[in-house]
Parts: sequence; structure tokens; C-alpha cells
Amino acid sequence: MAERRKFKKRYCRYCEQKVEFIDYKDLNMLKYSLSERYKIMPRRLTGNCKKHQEMVTTAIKRARQTALIPYIVDRKRVVENPFELIK
Amino acid sequence: MNHYETLIVIKPTLTEEEIKAQIERAKSIVTEQNGEILATDDMGMRKLAYPIEKQERGYYSVIYFTATGEAVHELERQMRYNEDVLRFMTVKYSSKKEIAQFEKMLAKAKKTESSQSAEESPAQEQSEKEEA
Repeated sequence: MAERRKFKKRYCRYCEQKVEFIDYKDLNMLKYSLSERYKIMPRRLTGNCKKHQEMVTTAIKRARQTALIPYIVDRKRVVENPFELIK
Repeated sequence: MNHYETLIVIKPTLTEEEIKAQIERAKSIVTEQNGEILATDDMGMRKLAYPIEKQERGYYSVIYFTATGEAVHELERQMRYNEDVLRFMTVKYSSKKEIAQFEKMLAKAKKTESSQSAEESPAQEQSEKEEA
């Protein structure tokens, strides 16, 4: 079972930094919980606690609505801008 | 009175004065409804993550204010009519933790605002172009 795990189990990054509230405009905060294709990473991979995962989820969804981060990254966009959107 | 934060994305094709006028207009809507503007935070021209109305970029501006729910309703109604606004989003900060965060962001916004206005205010006193 241990071999199958791709990511190391980590502690919640947001708890470590003692984050009280996650602002959707602060992309550096959101970046920990986003995959390369800007999907929301599941808790089992990131190790976020439930409280912070919920906060991150709403923040990411808000950021998507305001075009701060993309909804999807398809093949075209991967070639165009791999990682420049998040500074 | 509740704490709100509204983010507006304005069309990039407008001139600088027109963009400023748009922000002022949004502010005046809030103040007309007995709201109080606490701070504004211009994030500037940014690349959009995906095209909106065939635009690749947008001018981001955030307004922090306290107002009643009706004021927000009116603001959003006016934004919907306005073709120069690509996106808008209002977030309410109600719980204690959220308000603490709100105050933090306010302080941050005020800091950048004061440093910016000190540089810009003497230089720019141009008359605004009339909108056709």
C-alpha cells in the first residue's frame, strides 16, 4: 500500500502558518492546493486539514470566477503559458 | 451595516481616465446608498486567466466598504447594465475571523493607496473625456 502513494503525507500547510482566513486574491496562498492543470488538489494528497481545505476550495472557486486563475487548462493553453499566471 | 469587498474587472480598451471614472462611479453608487468607502486597492492591468468578452486583459480594482444589503443590490444591478465592466464580485465579511481579515486587508490597501497617491496626485489633473 505504501508504494502506491505518490505523494508524501504532509501536515496542513495552512495550519503550520496559522492562517485564519484565505483570501481569494492572494494567489500564493492558493497555489499549494492547485495541480499543474489548476485543479483543486484533494486532501489526501496535500494533507490539508478539513477546515482549511474548505476555505481553500471557496477561495479557488472565487478566484476562478474573477479570472484570476483558469477553470481548465487544455492542450492549447499548456503550451501557451505553463506557469506564468501564478507568480 | 455590513462589511463588503467588491472586485471589479474593467475593460482594457478604455483610456486611463475612463477607467478611473468607472471606479469613481462604482464608489458614488455606494455612497449614494449611505455606504461608506473604506479603501480602494487597484491591482492594475492583469492578464485574464481566460478570455472574457474576447478580451485577454482586464483592469482589476477592489473596493472595501461598509453598507447595507440594498446598497450592494443596487451596485450589482448597475454593474450588470454597464458594458465596460467585464466581471464583478462582492464578498461579505460577517464572522469575527472574517472581519479581522477584512481589517488586515484594509490596512494593506490603505498603505499602498497612500504611497501611490503621493506620487500620482500632483501630476494628473486632466479633464475627463466625455462618454458618447
